[in-house]
Amino acid sequence: MASSWVSPTTRTDLIEDLVSGVDRYNPSNVGILEDYLYHQIRSQEYDCLANLAILKLYQFNPDLYNPDVVINILIKALTASPLPDFNLCISLLDERPINATLDEPDPLPSLLPTLKHLSDLLYRCRFPAFWETYQSDALENLRDNYTVECVGFEDSVREVAIRAVTATFTRISADRLASYLDLNGADLAAYVDKKGWKMEGSVVTIPPNPDNQIEATVVQENIKLAQLTKLISHGANM
Amino acid sequence: MATPRARWAAEADVDEDLQEMEYVQNGQVYDDTLFQQPIDEATLIAMQQAMAQQAAFAQIPDVVKGFIVHFHQAVLDNNLAEITVAYESGWNKYTEKFYSRTEWPEAEIIAPLVNDDPIFLILYRELYYRHVYSRLQPNVDDRFHSYENSCELFNYLLNSEGPVQLELPEQWLWDIIDEFIYQFQVFCTWRSKVKSKTEDELSMLADGGPVWSSYSVLNVLYSLIQKSKINEYIAAHQAGKTAEEIAEIVGEYGSRPIYRHLGYFSIIGLLRVHVLLGDFTLALKVMENVELNQKSPYTRVTACTVATYYYVGFCYIMLRRYPDAIRTFVSILNWIMRMRQYHTRSYQYDQISKTGDRMYALFAICNALSPSRLDDNIANISKERYGEQFAKMVRGQEDAIPAFKELFLYACPKFINANSPPYDDPAALNALLVPGSPDPSSPDSADSSDPAHRHLSLLLSDVVAQSSVPTLRSFLKLYTSLGAKKLANFLDADEEDMVQQLMVMKQASRSVTHVTGGKGLLDGETASTSDLNFVIDENMVHIAESTMGRRYAGWFIKNTERTQKLLDDLKNQPLPAAPKAGVAVPVAPVVAEPARTGGPKVAWGGVKVAA
Repeated sequence: MASSWVSPTTRTDLIEDLVSGVDRYNPSNVGILEDYLYHQIRSQEYDCLANLAILKLYQFNPDLYNPDVVINILIKALTASPLPDFNLCISLLDERPINATLDEPDPLPSLLPTLKHLSDLLYRCRFPAFWETYQSDALENLRDNYTVECVGFEDSVREVAIRAVTATFTRISADRLASYLDLNGADLAAYVDKKGWKMEGSVVTIPPNPDNQIEATVVQENIKLAQLTKLISHGANM
Repeated sequence: MATPRARWAAEADVDEDLQEMEYVQNGQVYDDTLFQQPIDEATLIAMQQAMAQQAAFAQIPDVVKGFIVHFHQAVLDNNLAEITVAYESGWNKYTEKFYSRTEWPEAEIIAPLVNDDPIFLILYRELYYRHVYSRLQPNVDDRFHSYENSCELFNYLLNSEGPVQLELPEQWLWDIIDEFIYQFQVFCTWRSKVKSKTEDELSMLADGGPVWSSYSVLNVLYSLIQKSKINEYIAAHQAGKTAEEIAEIVGEYGSRPIYRHLGYFSIIGLLRVHVLLGDFTLALKVMENVELNQKSPYTRVTACTVATYYYVGFCYIMLRRYPDAIRTFVSILNWIMRMRQYHTRSYQYDQISKTGDRMYALFAICNALSPSRLDDNIANISKERYGEQFAKMVRGQEDAIPAFKELFLYACPKFINANSPPYDDPAALNALLVPGSPDPSSPDSADSSDPAHRHLSLLLSDVVAQSSVPTLRSFLKLYTSLGAKKLANFLDADEEDMVQQLMVMKQASRSVTHVTGGKGLLDGETASTSDLNFVIDENMVHIAESTMGRRYAGWFIKNTERTQKLLDDLKNQPLPAAPKAGVAVPVAPVVAEPARTGGPKVAWGGVKVAA
């Protein structure tokens, strides 16, 4: 994982102490981490390890469990694809008995399959299908109650598509790109422009990058000095 | 040895002793007590217990008594060599001989042999319960008492005034931590099965409190790490500080081997506990300071090294970092092979080879998801063992899923749920017991309560996402460029669908991988992991393939070294005294050599196939 994933520059010292120290197990710190999550949601920041620390506290202290927080964590993790963040969160969601202490019914059990499905669509690069599902009536609850609060959620999804396209294409038809980004006409042109990509007619050119530059190579073996130390030292002792 | 043996000889004559005691008791009864006051019940019970203990004591074979006394003395003297002998061979020898199907005598029974030494009795119980867990079926009392005994041991180590003066062999210290976590895992698994619990068990679980709770287990491990300052020790060691400077840094606890070793093993223990609880990033994060290489002094404890690599490799799988997982498994599997000649004698050999086998299975999974040519030798062994499943996995059709499932469930760690079912809440517990309880995910509910299936389903969804990659790959290999439409026709697929699959393929051929000099095990950079690369230019797919040049160096180096060794051996042979002996002696090593050349031959064959 890139170092920005292990410790994002936006992480404060206080959070760093919680993520890296034993204080992460202290249930009374859950509020600090939850506030930090809502800060991430408002300011388009993302800190996977800090969010996993919340889930860890929930795992050990079922009475802290707050389904809205879990859903928001999963929404943030969704757009990290193809990194495994979403799966890492799911791994920490232990089976829990139906919680009778909550004031209202737990929204997580009904939303979890939806979120898993969305994550799957993104990981499988099925971007047009993602948009169709996301905008369907069935997901109104998710949009109106959760993703609407998550600033820049749709743009983060677009970034997932952009990452896949950048690696795979040198040129892509504008129609195809439009279907991946769920943008049309002037919006698409503006988006492409903002990325610094060029649109000529109906084709968008992706700037060269290490992933879309291909070259056939023959890998030759390299012999390191360390491999030869035995031979050389033996020669010297003859 | 002579003095103690004389003592048990005196005690050995059981029946006589016992009869004498009864006689005395009888005498007492008749002489005074009967007429003064009846014996109260408590005294009677105490007496009966004492008698039972006497009887049990009497049944212990003399050699075992001798062994315990000797063992105790070795611990008192901090005599590591003697402790090691008693621990690694004596204990196992007498287990085989006398206790293969029953418990060792309880600590209270043997207490007179060791002058009621509380520390030795704790250590003795550690072995006693470990034996119960490994050879017999622990009952609910064993489960609770083994926890209490572990707590007593750790309390003694952590909360005595200043560092304790005890010394134990590294191997035993590793086993203590390893067993502690193993019993925790076994307890959690047992606890999560709500059905078929007796009334007794239910009531004990309801009042269990912190017994084997995740918090208490983590607490022990973190306390040992902090007390020993092992992370500071490792950092200072890596920075090349002098012994004096290190001693200064780690303080009075960390300078003592017992704390330093326990601290290190606790880091590995944490790695394992976090994996069992499904926290794969935290597992790698606690390993931040540990350098994963086989030059570490802790490779002396083979089981520890093998466990470390197994859990690290598994974390990498769950982080979708298959190349890192492969690298991890390859390095330890080669090491196990090299070490085999030494550790076949070890009593842990079975455990190590089982873990090795599971790593070959995990290697097969990784190699199917991210084909690698890192080590043909290991790949061939893995194919020999799991060839059938491997073939199914790489074909990527629908029978790939059962093959992945089979290998994953065989090779994955024994995952646990962090929390207990609600034993303290009879109503909630009954709700769990009622079949067909209102569970929204009813078809999978049996599976979903098992954490292993939760992790499995995550891997499988990734597998399904990648399922078209092998087919695409086989087509792309045939071309340097072809139209997307044509490729879609070959595959009998919709063009747009296929383009999306190509993006998945591209994604699957990139992975975060560890870079040399990177900090910690989590750190890494995205790198290409495939020899087949392609790019789409609007509707045209361009393909480029990287090939490996033929590799000679390893073969030549190995054989030159071998020849040198042969030459040295020959030169070191004493000159023949008589012609007869002279012929026989030098021949032996020459004949012995080819037996060991089996490995390289296979490797060479593998390379040939590649070229």
